[in-house]
Amino acid sequence: MTPLAARATASCLRVYAVGLNTFREAIRNKVLYGILAVVVGVNLFALVLGEMSLSEEARVARDVGLAGVSLFGAITAIVLGVSLLHTEVQKRTIHAMIAKPLGRPEFVVGKYLGMAATLTLLVACFAVALAGLLHLQGVPFAGAVVKAVVLGWLEVLVVAGIAVLFSAFSTPFLSGIFTLAIFFIGRVTPELRHAAARARDEWIRRVAEGALAILPDLDVFAISGGEHQGVPVSVHADFVPWSYVGDAAVYAGAWIVLLLIGAALVFSRRDFT
Amino acid sequence: MSAAIVIEGLTKRYRAGLRMRTVNAVASASFEVKRGEVFGFVGPNGAGKTTTIRAILGLIRPTSGSITVLGTRMPDRAVRAKIGFLPESPYFYDYLSARELVDLAGRLAGLGRAERRRRGDVLLERVGLARDADRPMRKYSKGMLQRAGLAQALVHEPEVVILDEPMSGLDPVGRKDVRDIILELRDAGRTVFFSTHIIPDVEAICDRVGFIVGGRVVDVGPVADLLGAKVLGTDVVLRADDAALAALPLTGERTRRVGDLVTVALGADADVGGFLRVAAAQTMIVSVTPRKESLEELFLRWTTSEEKSA
Ligand SMILES: Nc1ncnc2c1ncn2[C@@H]1O[C@H](COP(=O)(O)OP(=O)(O)O)[C@@H](O)[C@H]1O
Ligand SMILES: [Mg+2]
Repeated sequence: MTPLAARATASCLRVYAVGLNTFREAIRNKVLYGILAVVVGVNLFALVLGEMSLSEEARVARDVGLAGVSLFGAITAIVLGVSLLHTEVQKRTIHAMIAKPLGRPEFVVGKYLGMAATLTLLVACFAVALAGLLHLQGVPFAGAVVKAVVLGWLEVLVVAGIAVLFSAFSTPFLSGIFTLAIFFIGRVTPELRHAAARARDEWIRRVAEGALAILPDLDVFAISGGEHQGVPVSVHADFVPWSYVGDAAVYAGAWIVLLLIGAALVFSRRDFT
Repeated sequence: MSAAIVIEGLTKRYRAGLRMRTVNAVASASFEVKRGEVFGFVGPNGAGKTTTIRAILGLIRPTSGSITVLGTRMPDRAVRAKIGFLPESPYFYDYLSARELVDLAGRLAGLGRAERRRRGDVLLERVGLARDADRPMRKYSKGMLQRAGLAQALVHEPEVVILDEPMSGLDPVGRKDVRDIILELRDAGRTVFFSTHIIPDVEAICDRVGFIVGGRVVDVGPVADLLGAKVLGTDVVLRADDAALAALPLTGERTRRVGDLVTVALGADADVGGFLRVAAAQTMIVSVTPRKESLEELFLRWTTSEEKSA
């Protein structure tokens, strides 16, 4: 192995150690099981709603199930993400870690990956619950729904990155508010585009343009019910092709890398006292 | 060979409180820790010990000054592989067991699985946690956490061991265990730098000490030198009744009687020989002891003189 490759391997092993520890913390935390219980509850609720709406069973199940992935996934990402780095600093658990030959960027990336693994497990549980629900109703779990779940998962990972960036320098409460605000704004990008193009007020146009320029466009991941290349798309009828999901993954990956670089830069400058 | 730790002109300034008043937690501190020695970093609460240690490990960025460990200017990630660190009132991931904590520390230091397991078993046994090693640390007492902290600090066999208040919160047995571990480390050729405000521990195990008060390093040297330089006087114990005592050439020296024994505290510049000749004729001399300053007194003297000047 070349010296560079050896160093890269050692670095990856340290990131893995931090990630594994973070994942361990999450799965030993009772709150996570509370969220899982809520998700199962929501799916049962969807079943009941579907029964009441007779012919619309499958539609309701898909809508509620996918909304569950997106909403509970994002909420879990925010809850876990906003305290991810802050708690380490506040409880001083980071002191013994950073005293090891562990770089601060490695620590940030490891923490993020551990949380991403937790969120992935959670989304997988959502998907299994949704599949079970659809199966009960005799509807196949395929194509459009799988793509929608993958898109929802990508969005959750981006939201987690936003929360981690704030967590590198702010309190969980403020980080939560900022992240929720960005999540909300990121979801109304079609309306922002509309405002940027048509608003009569100069300032509104500018603000909308600015927001579009610097914030992630989360609507990319919640495409069902919207339009893609001028054509309406829906999980119930015509959905986006896999190539769209691939592009969305690249977009999500780019954002996550940017957010983690930002978090690592901020975190590297801090005093831990 | 370079020293283990060299600190030159280290200053750390904090802004604190609503008015953002500046506080020099450490003010132009300079001292050296030699390889293979046990160095006690001694000072009252708030003196700047923890701040200095955090700067060495790169947890905080010094306002000015330089820190060199094993010949390399800090911060340096690779050098930290040769340092073991026990934080003050250690707090670790409480959902882990001590065994898992030591394993994590070993991973971060780049040890393989077999090595981690082997050293983990030995260390957990050595710090007296073998029986509780698999319980979550949430259920540990402060002393047990301290022991787990020592194990995670030593798993990669570091050349330089830095311990922040390793004996605080421990019972006498625990303190003795930690002292023994420090001496074992020295016997194995490692350097130990530890902070404390417990003086008997320093007298028992340190080769050299540094006093820090109000952010300033005020005195550094071998324990014997710091103490030996100052003879404060001589204590003479006599067997004498009040009449015999009255016949001695005393000029206001402090005396204390216990039964028929009298202790006379002669001053530093007293004519001890002259006094003893007279005393030998009048009474029976039981013992003669030069009175040296204890580390405790030295510590108190530094602390109060700095407080006055502050
Ligand atoms: N983060 C901080 N902000 C402001 N002041 C601090 C901070 N950390 C330490 N100090 C101050 O610096 C001084 C030295 O503290 P410390 O190094 O913890 O002392 P010691 O470890 O010797 O008890 C104290 O007066 C403390 O109040
Ligand atoms: Mg301290």
